Amino acid sequence: MKKNKLLLLSGAFAALASAPAMAEDLVIGLATAQTGGLAPYDQPNLAGLQMRIEEINAAGGIAGKFPIQTIIKDTRSDSAQTALVAQELVDAGAQLIITPCDADPSIAAGMITQGAGIPAISFCATTPTLPLAVGDYMFSNYPADNVQAAMLAAHAVESGYKTAYILTSPDSAYTLKLPQYFGQAFTAKGGALAGEGTYSMGQQDFGAEVTKIAAMDPRPDVIMTSAYEPDFPAFVRQLRGAGVTTPILGSDGIDSPTTFGLGDLVEGVVFSTAGHATAGSPLEAFNARWTERTGAAPDTIYIANGYDLGTIIEAAVTAADSLDPAAIRDGIANLEGLQGVTGAITFKGTIGMPLRAVSLVRIKAGERELVAQGQPDPADIPAP
Amino acid sequence: MDIFLQQLLNALSLGGTYALLALGLAVVFSIIGLINFAHGELMTVTGYAICFALIWGLPFPLAVMAGLAVAVVAALLMERIAFRPVRGASGTTLLLTSFAVSAILRVLFQNLISARPIPVSIPASLSGVLTIGPLHLGMIQLISIIVTLVMLLGLNLFLHRTMAGRAMRAAAEDFAVLRLMGLRANSVVATAFAISGLLAGVAGLLWVAQRGSVDPLMGALPVLKAFIAAIIGGLGSLSGAVAGGFLLGFIEVILQAYLPESLLPYRDAFAILLVIAVLLFRPQGLLARKTPVKL
Repeated sequence: MKKNKLLLLSGAFAALASAPAMAEDLVIGLATAQTGGLAPYDQPNLAGLQMRIEEINAAGGIAGKFPIQTIIKDTRSDSAQTALVAQELVDAGAQLIITPCDADPSIAAGMITQGAGIPAISFCATTPTLPLAVGDYMFSNYPADNVQAAMLAAHAVESGYKTAYILTSPDSAYTLKLPQYFGQAFTAKGGALAGEGTYSMGQQDFGAEVTKIAAMDPRPDVIMTSAYEPDFPAFVRQLRGAGVTTPILGSDGIDSPTTFGLGDLVEGVVFSTAGHATAGSPLEAFNARWTERTGAAPDTIYIANGYDLGTIIEAAVTAADSLDPAAIRDGIANLEGLQGVTGAITFKGTIGMPLRAVSLVRIKAGERELVAQGQPDPADIPAP
Repeated sequence: MDIFLQQLLNALSLGGTYALLALGLAVVFSIIGLINFAHGELMTVTGYAICFALIWGLPFPLAVMAGLAVAVVAALLMERIAFRPVRGASGTTLLLTSFAVSAILRVLFQNLISARPIPVSIPASLSGVLTIGPLHLGMIQLISIIVTLVMLLGLNLFLHRTMAGRAMRAAAEDFAVLRLMGLRANSVVATAFAISGLLAGVAGLLWVAQRGSVDPLMGALPVLKAFIAAIIGGLGSLSGAVAGGFLLGFIEVILQAYLPESLLPYRDAFAILLVIAVLLFRPQGLLARKTPVKL
């Protein structure tokens, strides 16, 4: 009985890997987290990417001559396993590797791919130091933490906030560094930091922290945090519960249906995200196509983000006009103003973290209201 | 002073949740010597049950009942399918079995339900706040404290006033003698799992009410905290588990409140250090059961 279950499971994973590649196929190796803590980000990204790959292959492959083959392997959200999987994918002849949506496993995989001279793109790692830690064959596919922070800081200054309190968690680079980048950008523009609090991710208890904020005199003008589920809902519930009405700024981690389900608690919260579907925008059209394809509206921007990764690969290989990994790397590094469904994407002139549009969204009566969209002034972006 | 009282209240509420969780672990451990690391997945199951019951249109109180019922059934199934076949095996085997159950359930949740969190619409009334003078107490925190006390009281009555409860206490003392008395081991163990399921269900409900969503991995952290609390209290001792839960909650909140800002990132390290200090003085935990030396 137990053996049968195991066979079934391993069979299911074997079925995910595709047939051997043809001579002119682009082989993309995907070291993705389909289980574990990163699965919530990698799964939707993969689904979006697969949709784009299907479209490309239906049209005869990239530039009509390079059909895409994928080899998908689960990393279980484990960095060591990601490195192992990356090596297997390199050995299997992948010309391009996709790594999970986080800097740590992406660095682990990057150590392998950099040495092998194969370009690697992280689904959505946001830590701007990722390409610095790996090298010139490492890229990411998402607006970096410091870019989001600069947008939020510009908004804070425009809103007339003079003092800000940041809430960080040392448990991840994202929850620690993004608010700190915000603090840097905000003070550089004349704001002042009123304090920094910390929390443990997943603990859901903010009683002690909230009591401290409530006792601050004067209270800060704004609170900025990159906390996301389950911490953000618990924090905002306890903060408002303690009678603190200070405005809150958040980042893309809270762009999820749970946040919008919190009702009055999140009224007025402004957060940064990778895309906003304005009327007539490519993202709105993409969302409609996705809904038609799956029967359900996309619940996260990561699906469109994965779809755009397919477009990046297509453009890079078209520019390279070859399947040579080094040429593909150069193709990615020279992309400029590529139109994705989430906006324009530029790698040229960066170290590997793309310049992409960031949207600021305000939650109003459970709906999204666009506050700002675009890229911050490069001079305002804190150094990684 | 007001701030200190408020922090005490915070500690009471956090400690209450830990106590509920640790009690769930201790009830099972006291009977069959198993630390059930899949206890957290029982919380997750409760969350999903409540979530889907609400989606099907059940009113909130009914959805909560359904969630608790599902937790109890899931705990019983866990016992029947995974733990009964290895009952009496070494502690290591039991421990690894519970890790396996937990890992399998998480992967099933991720691949059959969704890897992404699913929102649970918690009634707005649960976001309310009770203000007593200068003190604020969130509705959910208040309910945590009340529910913890009710569960503790109920469990105490059950263990001392009912036949099944007495059988469980006897089983914790000496399982072999209990069987010699003609009591069915299976039903005693099943009762323990049912109680642990109910405790996990209640803790799961409070946990989900706080976060407003269910995700496949949400049980991981609470069960770890429960384990620490149960260790401080003395594994296998029910009152110890409760004391351990409250002590852990107290330590965490007080450290968060009074550590200097530069040391705050190390709060969990300090909390664990204090736990180690407690264990140095009481290696068996605060309220350890006195195990007679077998000759």
